[in-house]
Amino acid sequence: MTQLMPLDLFDQSSYPNRRVEEWKYSDLSRALREIPQKDKVINVDLVSRFAAQGFAVFTVRNGNYDGLNEALAASNGRLWIRHLDEGVTGPVVGHQGRAVLQVADDQSLTVFETYEGQGAYAAHTELGISLGQNSGFIRIVVLDEPLNALSIRRSTIDTKPGAKVHQAVFSAGAQFSRFETHLNHAGHGAEVTLDGAYLLKGKAHFDLTTRVTHGEVDGVTSQTIRGLVKDQATAVFQGRILVERGADGTDARMRHQALILNDGAHIRAKPELEIYADDVQCAHGNTIGALDEEAMFFCQARGMDEATARGLLTHAFVMPVADAIPDEVLKAAVLDFLEHEAEDYHAV
Amino acid sequence: MLSIQNLTVAVDTKTILNGLTLAVPNGEVHAIMGPNGAGKSTLGYALAGRPNYSVTGGTATFNGEDLLDKGVHERAAAGLYLSFQYPLEIPGVPALTFLRTALNAQRKLRGEDEVSAPDFLRRVREVAKSLKIDMDMLKRPLNVGFSGGEKKRMEVLQMAMLEPKFLILDETDSGLDIDALKVVSDGVNALRSSDRGMLVITHYQRLLDHIKPDKVHVLVAGRIVKSGGPELALELEARGYDEYLGVAA
Repeated sequence: MTQLMPLDLFDQSSYPNRRVEEWKYSDLSRALREIPQKDKVINVDLVSRFAAQGFAVFTVRNGNYDGLNEALAASNGRLWIRHLDEGVTGPVVGHQGRAVLQVADDQSLTVFETYEGQGAYAAHTELGISLGQNSGFIRIVVLDEPLNALSIRRSTIDTKPGAKVHQAVFSAGAQFSRFETHLNHAGHGAEVTLDGAYLLKGKAHFDLTTRVTHGEVDGVTSQTIRGLVKDQATAVFQGRILVERGADGTDARMRHQALILNDGAHIRAKPELEIYADDVQCAHGNTIGALDEEAMFFCQARGMDEATARGLLTHAFVMPVADAIPDEVLKAAVLDFLEHEAEDYHAV
Repeated sequence: MLSIQNLTVAVDTKTILNGLTLAVPNGEVHAIMGPNGAGKSTLGYALAGRPNYSVTGGTATFNGEDLLDKGVHERAAAGLYLSFQYPLEIPGVPALTFLRTALNAQRKLRGEDEVSAPDFLRRVREVAKSLKIDMDMLKRPLNVGFSGGEKKRMEVLQMAMLEPKFLILDETDSGLDIDALKVVSDGVNALRSSDRGMLVITHYQRLLDHIKPDKVHVLVAGRIVKSGGPELALELEARGYDEYLGVAA
């Protein structure tokens, strides 16, 4: 199993500092100067499952994953994992939780994973996902947390031969938000898509970190990451693809494209390829720029005012990630989210 | 009537149009011909209000209204349509979405009601059929992966839907094969009417066989050096621009 670096929200000594290369751009020690208070445990209401467009709903309240596997077993392969974190007034409360999901051989699982909350809180959750042979796993993540929340969401995915994975993460950021995925090609011939899109405003900080290890032959990884930042927001993209000795036939491509919509917004991008095998095809691309002025002029020359043109083009910029979602119900849910978020980009 | 008086335009700091004067009455089609670098495309861009194309002198009015005072989108809403020589690809925006957003933005600015989705679709279907454009193509992102001919047909479809009062066609014939040229020209000709003027910018006489102009102007070094009837285009085709290059210097 892929291992995550130990982290305990309630133990400050476990916090990575800026000297830890992997956390250089998301300085947790600075973001969380005081250890959050442990919140009272709220029992997850296991009854609050209902079929909404074929999805079983499981609520992870304040990091409590108890009952997730039962929910999965009863889900018919379509599961909405709804994370809800609640802050309180007074000292910041912290929630921490961990769960493991398994997808058996030849089975497929579609997960809609949402993160919402209220008030100020610090949350740290970990999901370990273990995939069987020839299994299929679709994971669509929407991070829509309060702008004063601190949120660290980490996950590991281990494949088996012939597994197919499509993950897409959509984020509006938070005061401090990090989404980490460590994917290990543990079986030959797995096909993996790890996409993402972020739309950040205000003082939001969002860090999308992916670590992909090709340990077996003929693995395919494709990453399309699109981002928009405005105001004083900061985006971090750290993508590493490691191709181990002997992992021949690997095909890995990573592309990060982002737009900075005004001075004062920042993007820190660190794409890395580390290749120890000979017969591989790998590529990474990273482009950060401003909105295409020619396209703006074209839209305006057809009658759109500047705000409308800007809204249309920024929304369009992140669309390829939504378009690639292989599930129509989830695609529609993501489009709603993007449309809502893109409205804030009409004016800069 | 589009009326341009003594127009001077600089791109960045370089003067491209140098005292251009031209009048196109409603209902007439005028062609602008000229060698590379004469300022043909600059004229279109300056009238449409492209950033970095600064008007340093002269006036341009449309039906008595000052064009140069208006923002880019306001000129479009006032009825000006610039057909791009190289229409832009807009990834992520389906052609239908683009067109409906543009149409409703113009209508809103003119104080008109938005077009309802069913009315819009009905009209698009009619126009698309006449231009041999497949409805599936209109669901794809605008111009992305379209051939040269498809892009120009999309331009004509937008003209027909937006119903501008004045068209500027910037080298609409470039990148078109003979069949596509005919489809596009037929589309443009269908839009000719007594209350709509057109300015056809082209290098070659070929386009003017299909879109017959009332007048032809020769643009050299940023100003009109000769005007005449359709026969002037044939003359230019036969003799080239050499004799005019001295005139402008």
